Amino acid sequence: MPEMTLKSPPLPRGLLARSVDLGTSRISAAAVALISILIIWHAGSIVFRPWIPTIPSTFVEMGYDLTSRAFWGDFALTMGRVLAAFAAASIAGAVIGVLIGLNEKAEAFFQPLLALALAVPDPVYIIFAILAVGTGELAGFIALTVAVAPFVTNIVRSNVHARDTDLDEMAQVYHLPRGVRLAAVLFPQLVPAFLTAMRFSFALSWKLVVVVEALGQPDGIGAAIFNSFRLLRMREVAATAIIFIIAMQLLERGVLGRVEKKFLRWRD
Amino acid sequence: MTQETRPSILKCEDLGVSYGAVPAVGRLDFDIRKGEFVAILGPSGCGKSSMLNVISGLRAPTRGRVHVKDQELFTPASKPPRLGYVFQSHRLLPWRTVRQNLEIALAASEVPRRDWEARIDEILSILHIAQFKDAWPMRLSGGQRQRVSIARALLVDPAYILMDEPLSTLDEVTARSLRQELTGICQRTDATVVFVTHSIREAVYLADRILILTRGPAEIFEDYTVPLERPRDYDDARISEVEADIVRRVQAPWGLSVEKEKAVA
Ligand SMILES: Nc1ncnc2c1ncn2[C@@H]1O[C@H](COP(=O)(O)OP(=O)(O)O)[C@@H](O)[C@H]1O
Ligand SMILES: [Mg+2]
Repeated sequence: MPEMTLKSPPLPRGLLARSVDLGTSRISAAAVALISILIIWHAGSIVFRPWIPTIPSTFVEMGYDLTSRAFWGDFALTMGRVLAAFAAASIAGAVIGVLIGLNEKAEAFFQPLLALALAVPDPVYIIFAILAVGTGELAGFIALTVAVAPFVTNIVRSNVHARDTDLDEMAQVYHLPRGVRLAAVLFPQLVPAFLTAMRFSFALSWKLVVVVEALGQPDGIGAAIFNSFRLLRMREVAATAIIFIIAMQLLERGVLGRVEKKFLRWRD
Repeated sequence: MTQETRPSILKCEDLGVSYGAVPAVGRLDFDIRKGEFVAILGPSGCGKSSMLNVISGLRAPTRGRVHVKDQELFTPASKPPRLGYVFQSHRLLPWRTVRQNLEIALAASEVPRRDWEARIDEILSILHIAQFKDAWPMRLSGGQRQRVSIARALLVDPAYILMDEPLSTLDEVTARSLRQELTGICQRTDATVVFVTHSIREAVYLADRILILTRGPAEIFEDYTVPLERPRDYDDARISEVEADIVRRVQAPWGLSVEKEKAVA
């Protein structure tokens, strides 16, 4: 029987104290990393002038972006695309993952498809989708969903396999209805897997959306970056990319972190 | 009413369980009546859990028949039996509070919703865990979790309750107090209990009747009625006498080594 995290004992005090130390050392490590990046950037901007923009000019450009309507319009569009693709991939991936985790026949059917889907490089999906349905919204949406969902399926499936079958027996003995078995017995065991899958899915989604926009969309953050690149305005490229990356990081940590806390509160 | 005149709750005829070609339960015939506390005693690996899997409705037997009251199990028309089951480990849902764990079992039972609250409160206070009603299982000790598990088994109006070595993972101090309470509760609620154990003393202390099994594949070696009135005292000399009597009987069939210290000359 897998012990899982269900029965993990509460952390002893010493460990807690150490994890606080670890927290501060993590912050200082992050600071060192940030400073290193700035130094490398600065050096790069001197050596590769003018292709790598200087730090101050990039910050000024970021200021322009943050106060410009066009930027926020692109941002909103891209955000919408990311969320749509992320939601579709997460839901489709999770549903298929649960299905094939529970059903051997379904697994036998999906297994080769899944292996193939995981092996195909993402640009292939994007190119095929554009060829198939043109450069509209739909192409990006389809390509992203197909590229991201298999990863979600894979994570969810392996966690369905690793579930506590003792609890399945308990559910059967007490005649819990099928819906309750899914919602109250199986799903809570999958929460950590769902969260990992969502983190992964989100990170992959936003990176791919930017690529799709650069390749096939007239608008959005990816298109803006690509346009600036064509006009060789490297300051704009850097500024837009940095703001977007920071925003995605904040979203991922803030929202998913909060979801995690809520659903795993029984652990502490 | 004497035991014999009480209605039969669980009856097995010619019961056999095999895994592939390997037999785990040889042949079991027994009849358990309303309100009886029956211990199933056998060495580990003899097929006790395999037998419980069948009489809990989880797995069809390879051979033989099981009747619950007047219904035969494992026929196309039969409904799965309404029972309580206390497993070796608690098997509570860690993401549900104590109360929610009990409610989820109640929701699948025939107990009307308006009675839930009162029943939960009653059973939790009988088991001395009323203060943990809204606690997460992770916050409870092993003994407290097993109490919740027992509460769950008692709550659902079971035809009978199965217990598979429910005290074996607890420390001896906790096991003692729970063992003592268990007899009281089962008497009070007139529960029909099938209690699997490999501890002879535990079986003698708890049971009205002990089905002593052979080494696996299990058959019934002896249907032993415990010759002691209640209430009993776990440390009583008469328990030790009965225990010694059973040890004498099973020594040969179980291949027990005799645990006597040889006097050093
Ligand atoms: N699922 C299974 N598949 C194959 N063999 C099993 C399985 N479960 C139990 N057994 C075997 O059946 C025998 C009886 O096991 P079990 O019923 O668990 O005994 P007990 O509960 O008395 O210790 C053992 O030899 C065990 O190895
Ligand atoms: Mg066993």
